[in-house]
Amino acid sequence: NMVLLHVLFEHASGYALFAVKEVEEIGMLLPQVEECVLSLSKFNSMVSLAAFFPFKSAQGALENMNAISEGLVHADLKLFLDTNVPRPGKKKPVVGVSDAKIGAALQEEFGMSIQTGGVVVEILRGIRLHFHALVKGLTAVAASKAQLGLGHSYSRAKVKFNVNRADNMII
Amino acid sequence: GSRGGRGGFGGGRKVLVEPHRHEGVFICRGKEDALVTKNMVVGESVYGEKRMSVEEGETKIEYRAWNPFRSKLAAAILGGVDQIHIKPGAKVMYLGAASGTTVSHVSDIVGPEGLVYAVEFSHRSGRDLLNVAKKRTNIIPIIEDARHPHKYRMLVGMVDVIFADVAQPDQTRIVALNAHNFLKNGGHFVISIKANCIDSTAAPEAVFAAEVKKMSSENMKPQEQLTLEPYERDHAVVVGIYRPPPKQKK
Repeated sequence: NMVLLHVLFEHASGYALFAVKEVEEIGMLLPQVEECVLSLSKFNSMVSLAAFFPFKSAQGALENMNAISEGLVHADLKLFLDTNVPRPGKKKPVVGVSDAKIGAALQEEFGMSIQTGGVVVEILRGIRLHFHALVKGLTAVAASKAQLGLGHSYSRAKVKFNVNRADNMII
Repeated sequence: GSRGGRGGFGGGRKVLVEPHRHEGVFICRGKEDALVTKNMVVGESVYGEKRMSVEEGETKIEYRAWNPFRSKLAAAILGGVDQIHIKPGAKVMYLGAASGTTVSHVSDIVGPEGLVYAVEFSHRSGRDLLNVAKKRTNIIPIIEDARHPHKYRMLVGMVDVIFADVAQPDQTRIVALNAHNFLKNGGHFVISIKANCIDSTAAPEAVFAAEVKKMSSENMKPQEQLTLEPYERDHAVVVGIYRPPPKQKK
């Protein structure tokens, strides 16, 4: 009875779901991931793209980022996971996410088995390192351009909607 | 950036610019030597700093003065820090970006091939930071709380260096949280520590030692520590490596 772990990665360019090599127990993954995380070809043999949902507009990206930053499940994310996470069958689907709050929301919404921390953190570090190479048609430049555009729109909105204009903590 | 014409270094005398030991940083030899960076946005100052241009063959290159009394990174460089790890092409996360004055020099250093993820929580400073980032497309502005890296995880890739100047009592924890998410294995951190922001009753040396100990427990290995005298009082900069590679067995 194998465990099929999928990992959700949220990026300025869109949502991505990665399938991790099947193992008997999730605990067996950590040393394997640690060993291969730095090499793209080795990492790719363990973690591969299952689905990608590109944001269709700057507005769409901003709405999704606002939801993600608050730990909320946007309709786009719901549809994406509904469509792409395999249904329970012989294999038990488990979804790894980076934020426990969104994990709890997904567990409630879909009744999925959610995993955070531990090996999921290491897998996400690997995905973040190799992301542009794992998604077909994406380049390092395009990935950072998406971050740049969304960074500006997210931050501009933050500053604009600070109604009382009082300063937050200085950090 | 309202200043026009040539910079005022040496009263119109010719200036000579030499590369500094740290790649991407330069020294301007004039009446008085000055630390400078190569201006990404020619013709504009960010915070009223002086500019000077040098003709190299056909092309004119402009540099901006970098004041060590206004920037801890500049103070560390003039204090003789061995490594800053911020260099052309580097991807840098800058925690505590404030109005973007030092960030603009980091943007000059990393150049068009590099990136600066500039995190600042204060909305007042954030407005200035956004204006600096508008003209410098290698700065990704992030107005968000550095204590909650998951809030801005969509905006950030893996980085080579984290620079932190957050002046918070739990700043080592803040840097560690960001490192666990965004700093490459073997990447570096450069942290400015203001002793009385962490504990105003203890001796500065004791505060620095306690912070260094906290770093070690987060897989952050300090490699160098220096004080920022005479530019700042009771400040130290700690430079180190995150998740150092295991030593090769012979």
